[in-house]
Amino acid sequence: MDETTLQIYSGLVLLATALLVYAARLLRRRRAQRRIAGLERLPAWTGCAIETNRPLHLSFGSAGIGGDNTPLALAGNELFHHIIAGADAGDAPPMLSMSAAMSLPLAQDTARRAWNRDGDLTRLRWLPSGRRSLAFAAALTDTARTEEPAAHVLAGSFGPELALILDSAERRGQPSLAASDQLAGQAVAYALADEALIGEELFAAPAYVADDGRAGVDAIVMDLWRVFMIIGVTIALFAQFSQLLPEFSWPLLAAGGAVLLILGVVGYIRR
Amino acid sequence: MNFGQRLGSAFAAFVAFAVGVITLLSLLLGDNPALFNNQPGSERLAELLAVPGDVLLRLVVIVIALSVIIGIANLLYVHVGRVARGKVYSGALLASFAVTIYWHLTRQGDPSLLEAVQLPIESSLAALLFVTLVAGASRVMQKRADVWGLLFVAVVVIVLLASVPLAELAPLRGWRDWLMRVPVSAGARAFLLGIALATVVTGVRVLLGQDRSYRG
Repeated sequence: MDETTLQIYSGLVLLATALLVYAARLLRRRRAQRRIAGLERLPAWTGCAIETNRPLHLSFGSAGIGGDNTPLALAGNELFHHIIAGADAGDAPPMLSMSAAMSLPLAQDTARRAWNRDGDLTRLRWLPSGRRSLAFAAALTDTARTEEPAAHVLAGSFGPELALILDSAERRGQPSLAASDQLAGQAVAYALADEALIGEELFAAPAYVADDGRAGVDAIVMDLWRVFMIIGVTIALFAQFSQLLPEFSWPLLAAGGAVLLILGVVGYIRR
Repeated sequence: MNFGQRLGSAFAAFVAFAVGVITLLSLLLGDNPALFNNQPGSERLAELLAVPGDVLLRLVVIVIALSVIIGIANLLYVHVGRVARGKVYSGALLASFAVTIYWHLTRQGDPSLLEAVQLPIESSLAALLFVTLVAGASRVMQKRADVWGLLFVAVVVIVLLASVPLAELAPLRGWRDWLMRVPVSAGARAFLLGIALATVVTGVRVLLGQDRSYRG
């Protein structure tokens, strides 16, 4: 694919996404969100933080503005905003940690807006390390000991070093929710965290923790894109089969596709 | 939210929208005369279209550099406060900070501090990480006592055993290779595609001014 075609496709995808964002507002009233187990425990953890007067620990990892994981930092920031606002009745301000310097102003602004009282700069921890940083993880293990957070919400970019933080939390009986855009970090989160968000679930999380219509629309658009992609991959798969197997006729292919489509629609309606 | 705050929020959203769209169009249309069918003057036009994106991206670099300074100030502020409360580790951190600055000023380009301190500590932490991962994997079934937890453990066991250099375990290597080539590769691609789609949607949300950072 040459550069011009790629640019045109990129523009079209962005335009289609923008149109879907507006079109999905019509769908939002009729569609129930699918359940994400990890996010259902957040209100209980927030309540526990308020009752025990302990802070929540929220971490961006190495996600930050200006890098290739900027949208991840923004999505995590949106989630943290709602969590902090939910814990506002407590006395212990939440603690935010990050290793990307550009996340620091973002976190400071979020804490200031969501925590409706005088902000405390000492609740922000910038631990200056790059990606896959063991030093960052080691510093956070100490945080689990000294600050005794009620729960850890690690939503950002983490590598395998996430294991050190989660293990420290586990040994101290502190519950944890983890999500990462890195494969290694995701695997560690699944194995060691009490709850894990897989893939794009982090980006959809604000729709689950707040009564905010715009966030709900984002979740619908992501699901729509995923459906389009599944349909595209399925068609490509059938096309490949038709080349490999000469006896695999196009009418049979169309019938198979129609059956799959009907099954998908029935499954969606039943859900 | 009073009128002034609303106005400020609307202005911030407008600036974010304008900057985002200008940068996007500049990156999409700039530096590619082929988009204009190589008509006369298209090269000049493509160069001009690339200028706003280039300028804004340079500004981002400057802001990132400034944010590092803010980060260092935050770091010192936090740990000076902790030293005042009798935290020994924070004192060690401040002392290390001072020594490193002094070292850099007096012995520029000398990596021995990095090699003597940072690398051994990171290596030790990497070894600790291995132990932590193994211990964590052994606890998976306590957390996820379902078919997926069982599958996870089974795959980990097969991959680990296949990595052991014993002739008796050689048949497992075929299984491991298949696992890594087909299911793991497919899962990784699905994971990355999900992240990519969500990234596009979040980017568009920011462009449309719907992100909370701008809405106040």
